[in-house]
Amino acid sequence: MSQPPGRLRPETDDHDTGGFFAAAAREELAVCACAACGAVLHLPRAYCARCGSWDTVWRTVAGRGRLYSWTTVEHQVHRSFPVPYTIVLVELDDAPEARLVGYLPGRPELTAGMAMRVWFEPVDDEGTLLPQWIPEPETEGA
Amino acid sequence: MSSAADRDRCAISGIGATEFSSDSGRSALSLATEAALAAIADAGLTSVDVDGIVRCDLDAVAHNDLAEALGLPDLTYWGTSGPGGAAPGGMIGQAVGAIRSGQANAVLAFRALNGRSGARFGQAGSGPGSGAGSGGGRRVGGGGKYDEFFAPYGLVAPGHLFSLLARRHMIEFGTTEEHLGHIALACRARANANPAAQMRDRSLTMEEYLGARMISSPLRLFDYCLETDGACAVVVTSRERAGDGPHPPALIRAVAQSAGPEPQVGFLYPTLMRKSLTTQTSKSLAETLYRRAGLGPDDVDVAQFYDCFTITVLLQLEDYGFCAKGEGGPFAASGAIDKGGSLPINTSGGHLSEGYLHGLNHVVEGVRQIRGTSTSQVPGAEVCLVTSALPVTTSGLILRRP
Ligand SMILES: [Zn+2]
Repeated sequence: MSQPPGRLRPETDDHDTGGFFAAAAREELAVCACAACGAVLHLPRAYCARCGSWDTVWRTVAGRGRLYSWTTVEHQVHRSFPVPYTIVLVELDDAPEARLVGYLPGRPELTAGMAMRVWFEPVDDEGTLLPQWIPEPETEGA
Repeated sequence: MSSAADRDRCAISGIGATEFSSDSGRSALSLATEAALAAIADAGLTSVDVDGIVRCDLDAVAHNDLAEALGLPDLTYWGTSGPGGAAPGGMIGQAVGAIRSGQANAVLAFRALNGRSGARFGQAGSGPGSGAGSGGGRRVGGGGKYDEFFAPYGLVAPGHLFSLLARRHMIEFGTTEEHLGHIALACRARANANPAAQMRDRSLTMEEYLGARMISSPLRLFDYCLETDGACAVVVTSRERAGDGPHPPALIRAVAQSAGPEPQVGFLYPTLMRKSLTTQTSKSLAETLYRRAGLGPDDVDVAQFYDCFTITVLLQLEDYGFCAKGEGGPFAASGAIDKGGSLPINTSGGHLSEGYLHGLNHVVEGVRQIRGTSTSQVPGAEVCLVTSALPVTTSGLILRRP
């Protein structure tokens, strides 16, 4: 995936969201969840409003999902992202409460609900990995 | 403003606006001052009478800046009510609350920006990265912003978010680009009748709409609102006081704000985590607003919908109950939203074709409809719905003729 240097990198040491990027650095996809009631807390936060627990965990998920929506950007607004490129929104198979965003270069052929698989893209030489999504050839029915 | 006792007790008695342009050559404070002076004079008041100012969080002009510029003897009430376009309904609500509780007698609500020649939306953070030596660029997010989940993927402009909402609406309901085009065309036709609209001289056909360049699919150039330099202001007073002014008061029937049943963090992009992307905060807002007003969609004669994008209007047509969920496209294409239709919308041209004043020009146009002075006047209009931006939070109001 070729993008120009100087692209935006995620802040990885936030109190509430850092665990997501810590997992990504191990090439694992994880969502924040309530340790007491199991509710997925995405976007990540420290407190579960459903059951009142402050006990949260980072739950590793499979890294597979379905394409929920997308847009192909044709008009450039940010120097880090030359057009055309495509932003995908993916609903996770094993945590549908969580949707994650991904970047694809160009104008890929996409269809709603298609299977997507995570991969981890290095975005600097400090070990920051960004979870990304690519279409996965359908092998199991559907 | 939570009970029937508050209905129609306050009114918008004055409206003002500057020229809408692409390069004002003036400061935002200068623009705000001109619009405010016009609104105060339109209300039959002088600056000495104004004791309250409400604004949105994003305005470069602070309440005390405008108080100084206007020479107010004392400013005894001020407030802010959320970011940019989401604010106007809340601003009017704050004004009503201040007047009803005796904290103010005459409150200015305003929005001033050099939205084209100054800082443009969607351009924030586009400077060079600061990560030299690390092989990476600037770090984004953290500190409760949550941008780390969006910006590194190129999701960096409001249009990208609304394109994702539009695509999802197409997936779920079969909405088409032509459906969205009918909204752009309706707003443009109203602007063509409005000498103050930026697009007064530029007509738009469906062929031109569909032939325009794609900005972020499925949204094209004319699905996007304008960028504008200018200012709008309104004066809110008690109904009694408004009755002393030169114009018929536009009674404030009800106001409401809503963060929805699933409040989201952040400013814009976290709305992508809502259970449904095709039902937005405008749904819960509408329920509260109609309940407070004692009115429903059938009572609305004309509506000024916040229209940062065409899809924003389509979602609201459904969420405010003018058609069933999923039917916004066919409803827009039916002619219902046009002049002579069952629900004429954005009669000054809206953000899509009049100017982008973050929802305050919608309030100004709502008052004109109640006064009977719009350039696309709906005959006999008695009830006007005015909405503010979605999706993370929103607000709105209903104006009524005395
Ligand atoms: Zn819990």
